Amino acid sequence: MIERMIAGIKLALGLHHPARNLAVFPDDIFIVSYPKSGNTWTRFLMANLVYPEKSPDFANINRVIPDPEALSKRTLARLARPRIIKSHQYFDPRYRRVVYVVRDPRDVALSQYHFHIKRTLIDDSYPIQRFVERFVAGETSPYASWGENVAGWVATRYNAPGFLLLRYEDMMTNTQAELAKVAAFLQLNASPERLAEAVERSSAERMRVMEKTQARKWTSTRNTRQDIPFVRTAKPGNWKTELPQAAIERIETAWGPLMRWLGYPAGPSNNGEGIASVLETVSK
Amino acid sequence: MIYGIRQILKYLAGTDIAGRSLAVRPDDTFLVSYPRSGNTWTRFLIANLLHPGEPVTFANIEYLVPDTEAQSSRHLKRIPGPRFIKSHEYFDHRYPRVIYIVRDPRDVVLSYYDFQRKYQQIADCYPLEPYVSDFVNGRLSSADWGTWAENVASWIATRHNRKNFLLLRYEDMIADTPGELLRIADFLEHKTSPRELDQVIERSSAERMRELEERQSDLWVSTKNKRKDIPFIGTASAGDWRSKLPAASVLEIETAWGPLLRFLNYELATNEGLRAAREVRELYSR
Repeated sequence: MIERMIAGIKLALGLHHPARNLAVFPDDIFIVSYPKSGNTWTRFLMANLVYPEKSPDFANINRVIPDPEALSKRTLARLARPRIIKSHQYFDPRYRRVVYVVRDPRDVALSQYHFHIKRTLIDDSYPIQRFVERFVAGETSPYASWGENVAGWVATRYNAPGFLLLRYEDMMTNTQAELAKVAAFLQLNASPERLAEAVERSSAERMRVMEKTQARKWTSTRNTRQDIPFVRTAKPGNWKTELPQAAIERIETAWGPLMRWLGYPAGPSNNGEGIASVLETVSK
Repeated sequence: MIYGIRQILKYLAGTDIAGRSLAVRPDDTFLVSYPRSGNTWTRFLIANLLHPGEPVTFANIEYLVPDTEAQSSRHLKRIPGPRFIKSHEYFDHRYPRVIYIVRDPRDVVLSYYDFQRKYQQIADCYPLEPYVSDFVNGRLSSADWGTWAENVASWIATRHNRKNFLLLRYEDMIADTPGELLRIADFLEHKTSPRELDQVIERSSAERMRELEERQSDLWVSTKNKRKDIPFIGTASAGDWRSKLPAASVLEIETAWGPLLRFLNYELATNEGLRAAREVRELYSR
């Protein structure tokens, strides 16, 4: 009851963080991904591409590319439009223009494991195998499981004009070419120089430097362990050496077909056929 | 502003519509479909299956299988578990156990067209063809559920072939009601007999539901204060689109959703669906 009262008063004043209940405008553009899939990097790439004059850093990124989990309803409603909004939400039909970033779930699991240690949600000695079991069950994140988040967006929007699917791994291999896709999606006439500049200003090295000085100015790193960085290895394929075989098998068993559809080579498992069966059918 | 204050007062009193902010419990079962896809019929089937002692009517259905989009948070909170809840929501990862009913969108759109005129959400003279375009492109005044394809694909892509998810086709339910009802009973781990199933089907028949609607339309939240000249219970049949839907509208639906229709084993009447599937393959071939 007290909780409801407090929530009610916050609602009345517009001070609550709307998260999934964000009031969406038809011209909003969303950067969506499952957590630990390159969302922050994409956020900086787009911020540096679209708003270079604002010199995006960790101190102002929440306002440049707003996060409905970190800002109040009132603040969000007053931002200039069209807004470019950061999100981890699973499918929401109100989002009409979506850049969706997907990453190999084996690397996502590993990255989330380290992030949970940084946030002191688990301690250093927490067994990774147990974490992966919970990751597959969707228990480590409020944004549904990796498979539910990815399949929910891709199956509903794969051929919609307002949807751009990017793979983190492709962005790593050829950042400028993938950013050019984003520019085209935004109908932005960006010269190669402008693209290169945005890529340079969003590099992992530069983000690491910024994190060192600004970690306490950003909601996502404030009140977390400072001995573990937020911007971690920033490279694909760590799972091959760092994830135990049983954990790899667990992930491939759960989402093998969906992973293969996305171009992530996965073992021979055909379990979890359901998640990808729509995609496999529509694309064959 | 006034609207905002009213919403907040409602929220504090618990009289706000539960909808998507429903507090989900681990033992809940959800009956989900896009609107006009046989949800009310299935609601009656399930309620009659689980409550053989009291024939289900429009006066008690909101207690037996409540509607999260028509009832308050308080009403739903007071329903004892395990609850069976009706919903039209697109994918919600919190729903632990789901029966999802899908119906051929070419029939759904015809039924929705009548329904939205009944609810006076569109004018009587609004032509069918632009209505179908609105339906396909997510421009209906009741757009909260996503488009038909978004709603269906969001559930199937995330939950199909998983345990705790049962996919039913309305057309199969029409063609073989006892067979599909038995699948529901198995899914709910509810022991039953052929005689019981017959009674459930009888008590949930379109004729009986039409009779109930005539007598009780003012007792039910979904028909109260709505036009009486258009019934809530529609034709309760499959395949009307073949004679009633304009060819251009069939083409528009199949062009947009051909691949998903094919996946659900709905026969395509045009070549556009297959063409759409080919284009998708080209778009995503690596």
